[in-house]
Amino acid sequence: MEQERKMKAGIECINAGKVFVTPEGEHEVVRNLSFATKENEFLVLFGPGQCGKTTIINMIAGFEDVTSGRILADGKKVEKPEPSRGVVFQNIALFPWMTTMGNVEYGLKIRGVKKEQRRAEAQKYIDLVGLSGFENSFPVQLSGGMKQRVGIARAYCNEPEVMLMDEPFGALDAQTRYLMQEELQRIWSAEKRTVIFVTNNIEEALYLADRIIVLTNCPATIKKEYVIDLPRPRNLVSEEFLALRREITGILDSSQED
Amino acid sequence: MKEESKENLVCGLCAITSVFAFLLVWYLGCTFTALGKLLPDPITVLIGMWGYIVGTVGKCSLLMHALHSLQRVLIGFLIGSALGISLGLLMGRYRLARAIFNPIFRVIRPIPPIAWIPISIIWFGLGETPKIFLIALAAFANTTLNAMTGAESVDKTVINAAKMLGANEFQIFTTVVIPSAVPSIFAGLQVGISCAWASVVAAEMVKASNGLGWIIQAGMDNNNMTQIISGIIMIGLGGFILTYIMRTIEGVACRWNRSGR
Repeated sequence: MEQERKMKAGIECINAGKVFVTPEGEHEVVRNLSFATKENEFLVLFGPGQCGKTTIINMIAGFEDVTSGRILADGKKVEKPEPSRGVVFQNIALFPWMTTMGNVEYGLKIRGVKKEQRRAEAQKYIDLVGLSGFENSFPVQLSGGMKQRVGIARAYCNEPEVMLMDEPFGALDAQTRYLMQEELQRIWSAEKRTVIFVTNNIEEALYLADRIIVLTNCPATIKKEYVIDLPRPRNLVSEEFLALRREITGILDSSQED
Repeated sequence: MKEESKENLVCGLCAITSVFAFLLVWYLGCTFTALGKLLPDPITVLIGMWGYIVGTVGKCSLLMHALHSLQRVLIGFLIGSALGISLGLLMGRYRLARAIFNPIFRVIRPIPPIAWIPISIIWFGLGETPKIFLIALAAFANTTLNAMTGAESVDKTVINAAKMLGANEFQIFTTVVIPSAVPSIFAGLQVGISCAWASVVAAEMVKASNGLGWIIQAGMDNNNMTQIISGIIMIGLGGFILTYIMRTIEGVACRWNRSGR
């Protein structure tokens, strides 16, 4: 029983840190980061600026090594990217020579899943993200929001245990971004996964999160943690929502001063 | 929509006019100036060419000569570009491959195909092989570098995406690196086919019994200006058609690379 629960441990960071060595000297971007995900939790890493957050996602995904501490996925040390940890990228990173269908079914295809089976599976996720009818479109024919829907479907279709989302809506305009937040909330409610979501937008964080970890800027360390138990879908102008928003923005302002 | 078709019409008319203007200047030059002593006028050339097409020049008709040249080009081009693209992709993706092959390649590349003619004859004799060797060399030299650049400049996050979806190195190479290098490969193939076509003429002028290069060479030996110019015109048309076909293939293969609508 204890073993069983350990297997469902998800992602665990233990004093994880990252120092880049550049010709100009050492550059510390992540320091002493410790947290663990709970099953099917929507965890948001919220922090200002450009520094550190993407590196955290890259380390959890296995694209980059930690330089101190450890990161565990299902109790095992993260060494390389694996299908069990799906990533949705900030710059979307679709395969531009593949259609929507080709992108979404890619993971299943290289694993040797038979055509009818992977088509059916991919279609399910294309429908889920609302792209029915665009199966044969190439990414260049899609708008920014639609491209990221393909990105989400592609990651989902591989059936990862954890989804890592690195500012997935950062490149979208405000209106599309808001729409995509609603969409992601809907998709996640339909297909529950453990999600680690990085953003520098407080409204986005509060709208989506079960729990918010507030990070400081450069090096990224944990400033404070909030459990958000407002009912979903969230009302962006409710008393509680605005109070939390004020409070979290407030602690960031004070952290920037010192 | 209407605006566009009007523009197309104007461009088409201009193209036709410019060809006729060129022929007219040529004709007038031959008729009224000393140019007539050096060059037959276009009507004589066209009548002569027609004679070569329906009749024969040397052993076969003009079109058969063109086909002989085309056959050599296609064989040599396929061999040369296949080798060039493979080597280029490997050099673009693997630093070790680049370290091994790049220095040699950089020295071989600037040598023009014509410089290889004596060696190719010594090595392969006077048959088809030296000609195909020269053409392959021209195609090889022009396709390698573009394939390498294409493989090198694959978006790193796209490779990360493939890794995260479970692709191993072989799958990354075949399903990500190669397709994303395709536009760049085609840029090389464009230049490669032109150079290969140009080299066949050089190869045939040395020693051949057919082909467009032979037509020109034989025309010079017989002092037959119409034959020389017929050969030149066919070479120009052949090159034009080959690059046109190549561009059409590129358009299909790279349709994902252009914004539709």
